Amino acid sequence: MNDSNGSKNMLSMQNISKIYRTDVVQTHALREFSLEVKEGEFVAVMGPSGSGKTTFLNIAGLLESFDTGIYMLDGEDVSHLSDDGRSRIRNERIGFIFQSFNLIPDLNVFDNVDVPLRYRGLKSADRAKRIQDALETVGLASRMKHLPSQLSGGQQQRVAIARALAGEPRILFADEPTGNLDSLMARQVLDMLESINASGTTIVMVTHDPELARRAHRSVHVLDGQVMDLKAVPDTGGKRDNGKAQA
Amino acid sequence: MEIRPILSAMLRNKTGAILIAVQIALTLAIVCNAVFIIHDRITQMGRPSGMDEENIFIANLSAYKADYVADSAIKTDLDLMRSLPGVVDATYTQSIPLSGGGWSDGATTIADEHPKSTVGMGVYHMDDHALNALGVKLVEGRNFNHDEIVYVDGDKYTTPTQAVISKAFGEKLWPGQDALGKTFYEGTKGINVIGVVDTLEGTWPHWPGFERSVIFPTVLESAYMRVLVRTLPGQRDEVMKEAEKKLGDAHTGNFVRSIHPLAFYRDSTNSGDHAMTVMLSAVTVMILAITALGIVGLASFSVRQRTRQIGTRRALGATRRDIVRYFMTENWLITTMGVLLGSVFAVALNYWLVELYDLPHIAWYYIPVGIVSLWVLGLLAVLGPALKAAAIPPAIATRNV
Amino acid sequence: MFLYNLRLALLSLKRDPVLTLLMVGAVAVGIGMSTTTLAVYHSMSGNPIPQKSGQLFAVQLDNWSPSQPYNDPDDPPTQVTYRDAQNLMHAGKAKHQNASFTSAMVLQTDKPDVKPDLIVARATFDDFFPMFDVPFEYGGPWNKDADQNAEQVVVLDHEYNQKLFGGANSVGKEIILNNRRFRVVGVLKPWAPSPKYYDLENDQFGDPEDMFIPFNLVSGMQLHSNGNNSCWGPPADNSFQGYLNSECVWIQFWAELPTKAEQDDYHQFLDNYVQDQKKLGRFPRPLNNRLNDVTDWLAYNHVVSKDSEALVGLSFMFLAVCMLNTIGLILAKFLRRSGEIGLRRAVGASKAALFRQYLVETGVIGISGGLLGILLGWAGLIGVRHLINSSDHYTHLDWTMVGVSLLLALLSSMLAGIYPAWRVVRIPPAIYLKVQ
Repeated sequence: MNDSNGSKNMLSMQNISKIYRTDVVQTHALREFSLEVKEGEFVAVMGPSGSGKTTFLNIAGLLESFDTGIYMLDGEDVSHLSDDGRSRIRNERIGFIFQSFNLIPDLNVFDNVDVPLRYRGLKSADRAKRIQDALETVGLASRMKHLPSQLSGGQQQRVAIARALAGEPRILFADEPTGNLDSLMARQVLDMLESINASGTTIVMVTHDPELARRAHRSVHVLDGQVMDLKAVPDTGGKRDNGKAQA
Repeated sequence: MEIRPILSAMLRNKTGAILIAVQIALTLAIVCNAVFIIHDRITQMGRPSGMDEENIFIANLSAYKADYVADSAIKTDLDLMRSLPGVVDATYTQSIPLSGGGWSDGATTIADEHPKSTVGMGVYHMDDHALNALGVKLVEGRNFNHDEIVYVDGDKYTTPTQAVISKAFGEKLWPGQDALGKTFYEGTKGINVIGVVDTLEGTWPHWPGFERSVIFPTVLESAYMRVLVRTLPGQRDEVMKEAEKKLGDAHTGNFVRSIHPLAFYRDSTNSGDHAMTVMLSAVTVMILAITALGIVGLASFSVRQRTRQIGTRRALGATRRDIVRYFMTENWLITTMGVLLGSVFAVALNYWLVELYDLPHIAWYYIPVGIVSLWVLGLLAVLGPALKAAAIPPAIATRNV
Repeated sequence: MFLYNLRLALLSLKRDPVLTLLMVGAVAVGIGMSTTTLAVYHSMSGNPIPQKSGQLFAVQLDNWSPSQPYNDPDDPPTQVTYRDAQNLMHAGKAKHQNASFTSAMVLQTDKPDVKPDLIVARATFDDFFPMFDVPFEYGGPWNKDADQNAEQVVVLDHEYNQKLFGGANSVGKEIILNNRRFRVVGVLKPWAPSPKYYDLENDQFGDPEDMFIPFNLVSGMQLHSNGNNSCWGPPADNSFQGYLNSECVWIQFWAELPTKAEQDDYHQFLDNYVQDQKKLGRFPRPLNNRLNDVTDWLAYNHVVSKDSEALVGLSFMFLAVCMLNTIGLILAKFLRRSGEIGLRRAVGASKAALFRQYLVETGVIGISGGLLGILLGWAGLIGVRHLINSSDHYTHLDWTMVGVSLLLALLSSMLAGIYPAWRVVRIPPAIYLKVQ
């Protein structure tokens, strides 16, 4: 199902609901959440903290399951996958960039980038080439033997990007990718994301920063677990009824 | 599969790994040697004595009347025992088999008043009922005849001229030859071998020559005497009670100062070995438990400390199985380092024990068996924490502290 | 400050009850095992007569066969012959000297309904009592005349005086041994040197004898030793007298020699004696007489069992494993508390103060583990007592051992605590405050 059709949906969520239950409280983290992202798009998902955007990211990135609704990712229904099935898709088709980088402190740069490739069971020569290429892309090929603690924040995030890229994902989820960086480094990282997107990888970026969102093709606003507003993207049907959330 | 990165991650947190590895090394050394000693002792304690051990009891009698006549008292008491229902046979004996106290002497194959070296033997003085009462198997020659039994005052004892010997004693005196009909010597006094029994332990189970025994056809008349009685299977305790009563009522001028099953003497002689095996077993069980708990404890900590890292790995596509495998592999590496070091410790400890005891060196296979056991123990111990790690949700990765 | 640290330690230990239990348990099991094995070793290797162990000497004369030593490589017998015992007693060259052996005897009383009893008596000279500091409850030793004339007198031990006379002063009363009447001259206080150094031939940790009678009764009553009796060569004739004149060894001989000079003199005397005997055709082996004081004698007779030694070694290794275990757990626990450490450092706690705080915490683990360990060790000793002959006197926990175990627990857990505390305190505070 990988034939390149510019208007094919990379991500499609229909009426996704997610409720967190504790003994006393039920929290509707997402309610009737629907969103579509086309292949090759660069979408920013915005919202204040507590709006449900992290839940959205977790569900979209298959880090968490949901209660009701249908989720199609890269043409495949991933709504009812087993834990192993979700692990496989995360590993093969999804790349993650986290706010706090999440590099493994005990491993050097090379080994960090290697982590997802190991789980894919690639041959060692293949892995080495991918790691080399990915680190060259982010300009850190010379730091392979360094430990994360020996790198600056920007460099660490670039290693994380290389780790995401090395797997050649179909879609990249970025969670406040510049949240822990100063503005110069943040700009570098954003430039890098844009160029990755330009080479064809779909990107969904979760942020609360409008400045950042402006770099995306379009922005989606989440409030109270629902998509608020779909703007500036002509070929997406904006037929969601948002009245309830406003109440 | 992913040994190298696990190893390099481990090397950055050496202390915990080293502590566990050294612990495992010491555990291997202790367990291998403890089990080796336990096995050695159990083998020794379980060794067949050649006698019908479970159905024999021994009565110890002492004279107290001034008109006591040893010779008739012995005959009366023995007849009494042999006529008791449930008794297979009874014999006079001067010493108690397996009791740790008895009579020994040195023998040679040629007459020599001052021999340079002798073969040690455990000596039983018994009568013509001895073989049947002990339940030993005669493999060659014959038993003593009734009229060959010599009754002699203890102070006027002389070496007899005939003996029934154990096969092991004959083999030691005349290697590869048939002992029957041959003569061995105590000094210049010759003793003719008229019969050979299969196996017969002496009175000292801890003496290296424990299986070199001879039976002399002599009854030593003194104020003290012993009667060894063999009963039908399962009737020992009843018959023993009856025997004590009958001997007490016999009015032969002596009294029963004690009466015990053969097993009682055997067990008290072995009590040190028994205690040693129990202590060593306790050490073995406890050290394995402590080491396993230590592995569980440290692995739990390491899981808790690496929660975020594990979540990240999961987010990047690791399955639960991958996470379990990671911790298993890590543990296996630590255990392996431990057992490699431990093999050296085990041999060193064994050298010390061999120096201390007359113990053979540890059999080589104890170490590989120990290694495999510790591998299994380590993997079982780490399974719990590893499963806990596998349960860490991947969504941890997007949680920002 | 100490109380504050103690409170912090208890709070911290309460926070992780399972872990605390594991750490205290590991220390306790390690200390318990070491206490049990050390206590056995300690009583086996203990000095049974510390006040004069350097003055009492076991005498060995080498009267053995010309072709073979008594024991390889060239050891003389551990007991002496009747002839030599009498000769050395007559010579009387030492301050005190004593020959003795044990014999089983039939005891009867004047009460006809009481069943006869077999007792173990030590046939000895009166020097035995002052020499070995034997304490008397009533009466005292017999005198030289009683020795000389082989009088039928007896000293009872505490237990038999209880049994026969209900613990009353029985001096002057009579008992029957081997159909002869004996007059009680003394009763001992409870007395049980362990090991039973003056006679290591049988039951080295057993009770002393039930009664004591003059040595010279031996020939008249034809008393036999019920202990070890070793002979080489046949006796001259087949009679009891022949046996007494034989080269069989069965008598323990001791000499009290308070000074170095007396010891040298006595050794010289023994050598001269043997030279004289050689002229009579005895002592065919080269001169090989020995004097060992109590401590050396215990070592020479391997009183400390090899098993006991091996167990002490193994249990110390076991303790090491328990301690490594605890170090690992403490370290992990301390490192996990990095946030708290950083905070304390940030509000001005010095390294030394923090170090003390953590040492108090490990000290608490050590002491509670140690106390629990002593209880376990004591339980272990009861277990050992059940496993072995219960009359043996080497399963007692004395105060020295309690102290040693407690010290061991404290020391080893402090050692176990120092490294983790040092590791944690050494890390700069900045690391702890940084957001992960």
